[in-house]
Amino acid sequence: MSETSRRRFIGVTGAGAAAVGATAFVPGTAWAGQAHLREDSAKSPVVAYVSDITSDEVTLLVDEREVVVRDRDLVTRLLNAARG
Amino acid sequence: MSSHREAPEISKDPVADNTDVYAFVSPKHPTYVTLIANFIPLQKPDGGPNFYEFGNDVLYEIKVANSGTGKADVVYQFRFHTKIRNPKTFLYNTGRIDSLRDSQWNRPQFYSVTRVRNGRSTVLATDLRCPPVNIGPRSTPNYASLASAAVHRVGLRSVFAGQRAEGFHVDLGSVFDLGTLRPFQHLHLIPTADAMGVDATRTYNVHSIALQVPIREITRHGNTPTDVMDPGSVIGVWATASRRKSRILDPRTGQTHGHGPWQQVSRLGNPLFNEVIVPMASKDAWNVRYPKDDKQYAKYVNHPELAKLLPVLYPGVFPNLAKYTKARADLNAILLTGLPKGVVPGFQNYTGPVESDMLRLNVAVPPTTTNPNPLGLVAGDPAGYPNGRRVIDDTTTVELRAIAGLTIPLVDKTYTVDGAAKGIEDGTKNDNQPYLTSFPYLGVPNGGYQTTPGTSSAS
Repeated sequence: MSETSRRRFIGVTGAGAAAVGATAFVPGTAWAGQAHLREDSAKSPVVAYVSDITSDEVTLLVDEREVVVRDRDLVTRLLNAARG
Repeated sequence: MSSHREAPEISKDPVADNTDVYAFVSPKHPTYVTLIANFIPLQKPDGGPNFYEFGNDVLYEIKVANSGTGKADVVYQFRFHTKIRNPKTFLYNTGRIDSLRDSQWNRPQFYSVTRVRNGRSTVLATDLRCPPVNIGPRSTPNYASLASAAVHRVGLRSVFAGQRAEGFHVDLGSVFDLGTLRPFQHLHLIPTADAMGVDATRTYNVHSIALQVPIREITRHGNTPTDVMDPGSVIGVWATASRRKSRILDPRTGQTHGHGPWQQVSRLGNPLFNEVIVPMASKDAWNVRYPKDDKQYAKYVNHPELAKLLPVLYPGVFPNLAKYTKARADLNAILLTGLPKGVVPGFQNYTGPVESDMLRLNVAVPPTTTNPNPLGLVAGDPAGYPNGRRVIDDTTTVELRAIAGLTIPLVDKTYTVDGAAKGIEDGTKNDNQPYLTSFPYLGVPNGGYQTTPGTSSAS
């Protein structure tokens, strides 16, 4: 993934929370215009998974970790991006 | 089969399919325990050019519980990677493979061993070499010595990971044809003349991970117990295979890449547990669950479907079993808690009340070095199944007879065993390569060139 598209992807997901070991549940970051990479952002490919499209939950799979983000706005934007 | 292709999902993922687990006090080194986990079932030895190998994207683990919680207290992890030495050839080997470092072996596989204890991971070894598969006399001559070179010393431990001859035997074609046991098939609901059993795994290979460790490394008190009745003498053993939670196919390379945490996809403790105890609709879920949560499966152990089927499939042969309606406390003890003291004189392998499927080995029982009985504990040989499991143990017969009622009197003296329960069997023995008398104990794998197709017919 190019740096541009990576930045756009992360901007869309608002992801970046990291956790070690078991699944981490973190609140989402509200969309606030242009997103910027934080120092602790993921450094390897990320898979985002919305198992329940009516929920506020996005599961992010990165390295050997799983991060669950609770952010209905993020879910909505992912659904819109994915289209039907 | 013991646990070969035993559940719908894992039957489509043979590289992660855990087929057998063994745990026994090592006959030649009685202060050591040998733990073996087999994967990749029913390998036809001539299955080239991409021969069998462990999954680089699978986490293989052998787990030991010693505190009565049903949770793993010591875990040995095995991670594999392969190299392609010559990217310009389609061949597995471009000449004779004379050593594990032979440059003509185009696709060698390596692995690491990590021990997890008290939540702390310790890498015990890296870049250990697997042997190649047994291709044939031109490619892999002197295969036994080639494989012996792949037995590695890691501290006081021995470890081996590679192809072996399948050690488990069963009449697969018969038992899944409506529970037919060829030696007794004249008694079947659809009778035919009796016949010899057919070892369906004859000529097949598996991939084994074998580990021999000092007993004191895996016992509750870090000692080498000698008192059979001491609860600290018993360990529980099972193996698992895990895959990353998500796999993405990379269209540039045609290969998949894993993302996220490891998710267990296969597990095995007692042979045949998921295979013949758990209903088909629950088998996939069983594979991803943990032994500590096996209470939910106790109902299938206490009232096994096969015990109800036997009197139907063999009319009039199991009259006492047909009338027995109590919960099978004997099977519950054998499979889920271990046998408490007082059931078999001078023996116990009880791990406490937590119902969990695992092999239970009392390491204080010395190995039987003279004429070990493949029927194990129920035949008076306490070093055999269900006290752990040796490679020679005929677990199909042991479990078949147990389910047929042979072990009910251990816990219910009022029960009279049906005569057939004492002799029922599938009629097979190990017709594959002979077991070894030393580590890694499972036989030299069958060679591809040496393999000829078996017989089959349709009617």
